[in-house]
Amino acid sequence: MIPSGMQLIDEEVADAGIAASSLAQAEVVFGIVDGVCQRCGQRTRHQLPDGRTYCRACIGLGRVTSTTRLFRFPSGPGEGGKLTWAGSLTPAQNAAAQAAVASVSAGRDHLLWAVTGAGKTEMLFPLIAHELAEHHRVAVATPRIDVVLELAPRLQAAFAETPVAVQYGGAPWPVAPAPLVVGTTHQLLRYYQHFDLVIVDEVDAFPYSQTPMLAAAVAKANRGPTVFLSATPPRALKQAARAGTIGVSFLVRRFHGFPLPVPHLLVAALKGVPKRAPKTVLHLLSQLTGRQCMLFVPRIDWLLPLAQALSQAGYTVQTVHAEDPERVLKVQQFRDGVVAVLLTTTILERGVTIPHCAVLVLAADDRQFSTSGLIQMAGRAGRSQASPDDPVWFVGGHITLNMLAARHEITMMNRRTP
Amino acid sequence: MNCLLCHQPLRDDPGLSGLLDARPLRLAQLCRRCFARFDQIDQQTVCPGCGRADSPSLCQDCRRWKAQGEQLLNHRAWFRYTAPMKDFIQQYKGLGDYHLHGAFADVLQVVGENQALVPIPSERGHYARRGFDPVLGLFGHLPLALWLTKADTPVPQAQKTRAERLLTRQSFTAHLPAKVPPRIVLLDDLYTTGRTLYHAKAALRAAGFEGEVISRSLIR
Repeated sequence: MIPSGMQLIDEEVADAGIAASSLAQAEVVFGIVDGVCQRCGQRTRHQLPDGRTYCRACIGLGRVTSTTRLFRFPSGPGEGGKLTWAGSLTPAQNAAAQAAVASVSAGRDHLLWAVTGAGKTEMLFPLIAHELAEHHRVAVATPRIDVVLELAPRLQAAFAETPVAVQYGGAPWPVAPAPLVVGTTHQLLRYYQHFDLVIVDEVDAFPYSQTPMLAAAVAKANRGPTVFLSATPPRALKQAARAGTIGVSFLVRRFHGFPLPVPHLLVAALKGVPKRAPKTVLHLLSQLTGRQCMLFVPRIDWLLPLAQALSQAGYTVQTVHAEDPERVLKVQQFRDGVVAVLLTTTILERGVTIPHCAVLVLAADDRQFSTSGLIQMAGRAGRSQASPDDPVWFVGGHITLNMLAARHEITMMNRRTP
Repeated sequence: MNCLLCHQPLRDDPGLSGLLDARPLRLAQLCRRCFARFDQIDQQTVCPGCGRADSPSLCQDCRRWKAQGEQLLNHRAWFRYTAPMKDFIQQYKGLGDYHLHGAFADVLQVVGENQALVPIPSERGHYARRGFDPVLGLFGHLPLALWLTKADTPVPQAQKTRAERLLTRQSFTAHLPAKVPPRIVLLDDLYTTGRTLYHAKAALRAAGFEGEVISRSLIR
């Protein structure tokens, strides 16, 4: 079997047991040329004592050194495939999807700017179907493994007769060539000029936004246009959209049709936090009226003291952070309504849907909170049809530009006509 | 400076006294939060023979070495082999991320007069593949005496079971200079069964060293 379109290092080729006859078809380059890693495109200056240089940026996929051979296998047209999904899109979703199809057909990059909770995945179906019908190869790349695992079965169900390859760190590989690949953005480093369309989910999210290597990975793996998906696109993309260099379509209403909850900006003295809960916070929590509340804090070490202070005030509290081994379980408990307040770091700013949930960002003026982060956190509220007007509070020692910008962007989205 | 593991800026400034002090300035390479994830061994309650944590009297392993007529190495290690440390070793030795070699340099200090610090070398084949010697990297900030060499072995220690490890044959040879100090401190990254270090000691003895041999490792 030839791993078509992949670029693999010596060790990977050996592990996969690729025959010499297949290797002969690959273009071979050295791992680092002129101080630039040929796999991930990043500049590297890290040296080994034996004089070789190596790349730290993509070392997680196996080390590339100046003597590593990188095998680039030839790619070809896709195997085709068709949409078997029977559902339908709202007119707004359909319009946004068709705009993306038009951009991609014209070979242009496209930004799908959809508010939090708009139903982005379904909107991708027409686009993917259009590309597969043309025998194009499509990759859907998302930053996190949890999202890959959630997305893959949905895509496989929507394209039931089409092979879908799922790739993330630790997944079994090599995978059989498939016209549709779902994986973490990192996995695109294993491809070279293979895809005719790459869809990048959550462009503004960690680690894509902070890791230039991942943008380079998308560019290297792709031979066609890129579609970016985001509720809070980074400035560069917004500017490109405004200048018309990339296509853009908006989805400004949630699937239930109600506007986004607009955050209230509150100034409070944060002295004694996290050991004491500010009065303002206690007052706000007393107004929950049957709702649960996600309370975001800027630092992990705030979680425990603040949880203690809040449970002394009579609230049932649970805490989560990125390295919490019980994260999934605790979020599930919160979902089940066992606890009233979920104290969390920014780890839960995306991808979590809790009905009837208020959002409070404590120390919203902290540098830790970016505009897009604040918009995402605010986007946790009002996601269910039954309670679209959950309150969102940004509580800070003072009001920052980020807080204002987040509120402004949400208001502007609400004002845009669907 | 950023933390080697989480890349957050390091906040621990040396301070005026640190700058003016006559002692060499040693800055941490890891932030406090990352460093705190590693489990440091409490040296008050370790096995006197091998430095195993929470074993104030001589442990089973060491009694076995003693029964075989070995003089114990009085081994001491800095850290336990917990999950974060396994991740670190995987990144450093497994993936070959040499940049991490100084991560524990500020902690890995061996004090004493009239002694030579002899690192356990890696096999030539491993060196060729990794491009560095993991033990030399970890202890590179110390004045080292490279007196041992290791012949290539078919299977690395890390891929063997405990029983297989203990059956490993001698693969070290020592080349001593004319003048040797009365004490040698062997340095390694990991102490598991002690087989490697006792072989190294035997090689030193075979080369004619008659002084005291003790050992240190990053992990026990």
